[in-house]
Amino acid sequence: MDFEAIYLQYSPQVFRVCMGYINDYEHARDLTQETFIAVWQNLASFRNESNISTWIFRIATNNCLRALERSKKQPTGELPFHLPAPQEETIEEKLQFLYNCISELEETERIIISLVLEDLPQAEIAGIVGMSHANIRVKIHRIKEKLAIKFKDHGQFR
Amino acid sequence: MDNLDDLKKIWHSADTHSLPGTVQMMQAIRKYRSSKLMKKTALVAAAILLTGVSIAVVFIYKSVMLSTRIGEACMIIAGFMLVFTNIKSLGRLYRVKDFTNKEFIDYLEQVQRNRIYYHNKTQVAGLSLVSIGLLLYIYEAVHNNLYLCIAAYAFTAAYLLVIWLVIRPRAYKRQAKKLDGEIKRMLLISKQF
Repeated sequence: MDFEAIYLQYSPQVFRVCMGYINDYEHARDLTQETFIAVWQNLASFRNESNISTWIFRIATNNCLRALERSKKQPTGELPFHLPAPQEETIEEKLQFLYNCISELEETERIIISLVLEDLPQAEIAGIVGMSHANIRVKIHRIKEKLAIKFKDHGQFR
Repeated sequence: MDNLDDLKKIWHSADTHSLPGTVQMMQAIRKYRSSKLMKKTALVAAAILLTGVSIAVVFIYKSVMLSTRIGEACMIIAGFMLVFTNIKSLGRLYRVKDFTNKEFIDYLEQVQRNRIYYHNKTQVAGLSLVSIGLLLYIYEAVHNNLYLCIAAYAFTAAYLLVIWLVIRPRAYKRQAKKLDGEIKRMLLISKQF
């Protein structure tokens, strides 16, 4: 698989995962770029020991984990527990609310839910994060519960 | 949660069209490569050049005193240390290991510990070698003239004292604060696994 094809296929996914983690558009773009620079530099040495998607998401999420270390930019502040139900939100507002909710999770939880929303199988997520499959399953369940509470309070779900 | 599909729908609505195209991406890679390469390679080249000059001086200037020979040896060893640490960090810059997030956090913790070790041990050893080497090296050149000897040693001692007592502690304080914060954050993340 050549680099251009890899970039075209995975850059939107990587960007969304970075955005989910960092909740900052410009920073997410930079992280996406850094990820693909690392992919380009190491593509020749990639030995197909894991899926290429697992390899790329490992690089992307590891970049994310290091990113907060470099910039002190923290995610948005605490959301009030009970938020007033909005009249009619645009899809952009819903997306921003989702990012805000995710940014309140712990670092590993942010990575896990971003990969879940990217439709990655749980086994692959376990291989990216470095936890057991059972542990990932429990984590996903807890994260979904946390998000469901926030979204229900916000009047998003029926 | 029954609404995971709703969340996925929202999630996938993120605008990714403004991401750079493949041509722009390749340009960014080339730019990144040249700037990073230039910076780090220049540092390695300077370290090699410095060590090379020190070795060349040994052959060009035939010293007669043992103190000069020991001084030369100290400075050459310090030069090799500088080259070795820079080449090591150059390798780290380009190699991306296929780590899971957990392994990566463990690796970062190790890197931070290595940095602390470098500041506390390697840098002290290198700087000590250079200081001792310099003090021994100049003796042969100035020992015949008392005033010149006093002036040379006063100047060298002042220079080394500024490095040891002002520049190094200041740089270390800045680095230590940063490293301490980073290690605390890594420990916090590693507890999540």
